[in-house]
Amino acid sequence: MMGGNAGNKPALLVDGKRVDGRGVEDLRNVKIVARVLNDADGSAYIEWGKNKILAGVYGPSECIPRHDQSLYRSVVKCRYNMAPFSGMEEHGRSGPNRRSKELSKVIKEAFENVIISESYPKTQIEIYLEVLQSDGGTRCAAVTAAAVALADAGIPMKDMVNAVAVCKIDGKMAVDPGKEEDNFGESDMPIAFSPRTGDVLLFQMDGLLTPDELAEGFRLARNASGKLREIQVAAIRKVYDEPREERFLVIEKKQ
Amino acid sequence: MPGEMISDKPERISYAYVDGGRTFSTVVGLYQEGKLVPLEGPYDPLPDDYVVGIVTEVKFSGYSVEINCPYPAFLSSREIRERYVMGDALFAKIQSVDEVRSIELADAQKLPPGKLVKVSSVKIPRIIGKKNSMVDMIKANTGCDIFAGRSGYVWIAGKGNAPLAEKAVKMIESQAHTRGLTDRVAAYLKSQPQVIIDQGAGAPQQAQQEPQGERRENYRRESRPQSGGYRGSGGSRPHGGGYRGGSGQNRQ
Repeated sequence: MMGGNAGNKPALLVDGKRVDGRGVEDLRNVKIVARVLNDADGSAYIEWGKNKILAGVYGPSECIPRHDQSLYRSVVKCRYNMAPFSGMEEHGRSGPNRRSKELSKVIKEAFENVIISESYPKTQIEIYLEVLQSDGGTRCAAVTAAAVALADAGIPMKDMVNAVAVCKIDGKMAVDPGKEEDNFGESDMPIAFSPRTGDVLLFQMDGLLTPDELAEGFRLARNASGKLREIQVAAIRKVYDEPREERFLVIEKKQ
Repeated sequence: MPGEMISDKPERISYAYVDGGRTFSTVVGLYQEGKLVPLEGPYDPLPDDYVVGIVTEVKFSGYSVEINCPYPAFLSSREIRERYVMGDALFAKIQSVDEVRSIELADAQKLPPGKLVKVSSVKIPRIIGKKNSMVDMIKANTGCDIFAGRSGYVWIAGKGNAPLAEKAVKMIESQAHTRGLTDRVAAYLKSQPQVIIDQGAGAPQQAQQEPQGERRENYRRESRPQSGGYRGSGGSRPHGGGYRGGSGQNRQ
């Protein structure tokens, strides 16, 4: 998804195992914690492999600027941002760039399809996605975390969206590419699903795929999407099974 | 959970939608006996709700009041005899709400000095309790006056053991979805030292509330489209003039 094809291409698939030891149908470890920010209406923190992303949802609140507001529905706004320290490469100055603007737009459009915005005319719903650490597949992790944050905020949605990428590595389709597979693989295809209906809400592709490979990729992604939904539901359930008054959670890491 | 099936028949349930002859939830909530109660969410203003708010703007013809809702409420000078300044807290009834959610207030009364606690609006019914049982219990045990506005502001008067009352309200908020909460709050209040500080702040009597549950349900049934989800309703809400004034019974 980012970075060039610098360096030599390593072997990505040896005896059906990938660089990090996964099989072609395995996701990386995904961990989601819902309701982590004190001041947001809804929030979630996701660790997906080495990706670490915070999602915050504010709203519905009065739509500012006023010329954006609609009398018929709530306006969904999204800001995807990568922290300058989030990757191995230099990300340059912070702030919106071409890539983050594109991702903000496609993520916003994915959620416009599921949020029942007619319930709250004249308002806005803001989704903030901050990538703290990136390792390939941040847009999918961001969509997955944003859906949990929206559900946590109590915003009515038709479904809990999630997203996963599929890639072609050494001629074979595999789910959830990591950074190496992303940079050196032949193709990369992030897809966001509405898991209940299987509707596709976001679809992008890098590289080339045959129709058969595309179909295989969709089959893999749909399977993974079902697993992700279970993780999302468990994250929200945990908020109510273990209620706590103070939301902010410090994750301690052993040195 | 959003997208979770709650019935295999098309049914009109608040916070749910029908697709392909089946009914699905749109929120994180508890489903029981044909009712879906959300566990989180913004306040949906309804006529006849009692709310607590803060004056945010003094206008020529009235006041703009913030009531913990996406939309500001308006209190006309014609409705009141007192004068307010910015920052005053007041207790009022929602008189009307129109289809673009302009809220008009009436029957306002100014609240004496106290503390405003902000909680999620969906948890207010638990704080009030059945026939005000919970709020009466906190009042009796702490000696505070409490007004719980439907929109999520809880006002606690500065006399009595206000810090304890605030803690009790916070406790109810974080455990609102559990059973046997009244007993636990009672035990908590009993276990704390009974400090009564009388600062002599007299508060108006509370002309409370209820039976809100039933009325909210009626409103939901009218206002949600029958099938095909929320899209395709042309954008406008389908309930015509049924919104304005009147009590719940007349609006069938």
